[in-house]
Amino acid sequence: MSVSTPFSTSSDAGVQPRLTWPLVVLSLAGLILLPSIWPSSYVVNVLILAFIFAILATGLNLIFGYTGLLSFGQVGFFGLGAYLYALLTMDGGVSPWLSILLAGIGSGFVALLLGYPALRVSRASFVIVTLSVTLLAALLARNWVEITRGPMGIPRLPAPSIDLLGLGTFSGHDPHVFYYIALAIAVASIGAIYLLVNSPIGRVLRAINLDEPLAASQGISPKKYQIAAFAVAGILSGIAGSLHVSHLGIVDPSIFDPYYSEMLLIIVIVGGPGSFWMVVVSSLVFMAIPELLRMAPELRMVLFGMVLVLAAMLFPTGVGGYFEQRKLAMWRRSLRS
Amino acid sequence: MEFFIQLVINGLMLGMVYALIAIGLSLIFGVLEIVNFAHGHFYMLGATVLAALVTSAGIGFFPSLVIATVAVGVVGYLVYVVLLRHFREGEFDRGIILTIGIGMVLQNGVAYLFGSSSRMVDTSLSFVSWDVAGFFVDAQRTVAVLVGAVAIAALYAVLTFTRIGKAMRAFAQNREAAFIVGIRPAVIAGIAVAIGIALAGLAGAALAPVFAVHPAMGAPILFKVFAIIIIGGLGSLPGALVASLLIGVTESVVGGYSSVALQDAVAFMLMIVVLLAFPAGLFGKGIRV
Repeated sequence: MSVSTPFSTSSDAGVQPRLTWPLVVLSLAGLILLPSIWPSSYVVNVLILAFIFAILATGLNLIFGYTGLLSFGQVGFFGLGAYLYALLTMDGGVSPWLSILLAGIGSGFVALLLGYPALRVSRASFVIVTLSVTLLAALLARNWVEITRGPMGIPRLPAPSIDLLGLGTFSGHDPHVFYYIALAIAVASIGAIYLLVNSPIGRVLRAINLDEPLAASQGISPKKYQIAAFAVAGILSGIAGSLHVSHLGIVDPSIFDPYYSEMLLIIVIVGGPGSFWMVVVSSLVFMAIPELLRMAPELRMVLFGMVLVLAAMLFPTGVGGYFEQRKLAMWRRSLRS
Repeated sequence: MEFFIQLVINGLMLGMVYALIAIGLSLIFGVLEIVNFAHGHFYMLGATVLAALVTSAGIGFFPSLVIATVAVGVVGYLVYVVLLRHFREGEFDRGIILTIGIGMVLQNGVAYLFGSSSRMVDTSLSFVSWDVAGFFVDAQRTVAVLVGAVAIAALYAVLTFTRIGKAMRAFAQNREAAFIVGIRPAVIAGIAVAIGIALAGLAGAALAPVFAVHPAMGAPILFKVFAIIIIGGLGSLPGALVASLLIGVTESVVGGYSSVALQDAVAFMLMIVVLLAFPAGLFGKGIRV
């Protein structure tokens, strides 16, 4: 674990640094116990989707919040991971667990290849190139019928299962089992990113974000770090995508729906780009909102659009940024007295 | 050969439509340095307003075209006054997030109010085609192209000969120098945004009788136009025009000899090639944001 000093602008915005770990452990314990207390498979399914979005949002947070590059490629890699999972399990005969891993690695590798042309000119062209990658992937999924089966999609996908020695095998097709699979993968991948952003590499990424020429003058090659961060975010998206379709049981071109991009963006913007835990919390909140706010989907998206407009106008650093500022103000006051 | 020429004619028509949208987008980018993600949704708004005027109110095509263009331009100006005006230079990401939010409100608002099904607009020019030297020319499309050409020529005249147009170009070229000589940024940027968005509305309105009108029609064409302005060079108006015609013709020819899927992908693939070979675009001055 990294040592938190006032100068490393700790990413655990939102609460006192001392409170972060007890809160994380407590929430995790709550999530582990929840299906036993509230065994509704409806609640379990909503939470599974929230875990998947938390992985996806943490990936976008790494590339946008920490590295400062707004990527619209995340949903493209999400879909790529989903298709890789489907093809590996159905056509390749690879086991579901290994397929999830390979889907992540495959998506990360494609991100690595795309990073160079995408970062060639400017931040504006990075945005547009990453967006185009998602659109191209959707076009491929719809039209490369021999491989992807086109708009019909690939049904009857297997789900990973848990094999407990002596207790038998638990199939992931049961939502209560899949809940723990999704939770475990989410904890592992989000935890890995937490370690990454709090490591020296994470500090380099933030330095590049704050002042690229200054970072370059210190002998850091910004492009290499940016491409690496893009690849890691691609791995996360690929894992999230494969997890999502292994739960749904089918993959089709609707995996590239703009709905995913819009939800992903709103989760990260409202949570606060660069605020690690707030983005994770925001994923859980925004996946629960549609279940609580029953209204016409169009009207809900109008409201979400307004939230995005308000966020961009009034609080571009999100809820996490607000708490971060409060914390800095408290430090200043304590230094003065 | 005749088939090829027919494809080129169709392609130039398609390219003209891209040009209307791309030039507006480029104008806004040049003055505000904001990539307007809601631009395609203003195109959709123009088409929706025209469809409502022609089918529900029974107003003729050409008066409706003018009303729709002005209405969308006014909405664009209001968006500038209420929202975009408060942005400073270098707040690139915030501009994108804001315009995505505006786009979500427009698309889903129209879907909520008018329903998300496709609507056709019939005018007196529908199903009419002209025979020009043996080539099949669709009347409605030709009108759309002529309207576009007139709008682009008018914009060129405004930018070249009027004080306000020169001020716009000065502002896009060098912000500080424009401040020093007394150009008021809020006035110039407001007019540029209104013109840029009105052009998108005009494109949508002119094409409403050609394509089906529906709330989600804005995003696909906008994304293609993004690729076009990257190819032409961000912020370059001649680049936007040339690249639009180039992509329009290429798409049409590829679609004619190959598959429709490849036709949709060609702009994005060309963009990646251009970025590798000419990072600043074909006509770009290499603006770095």
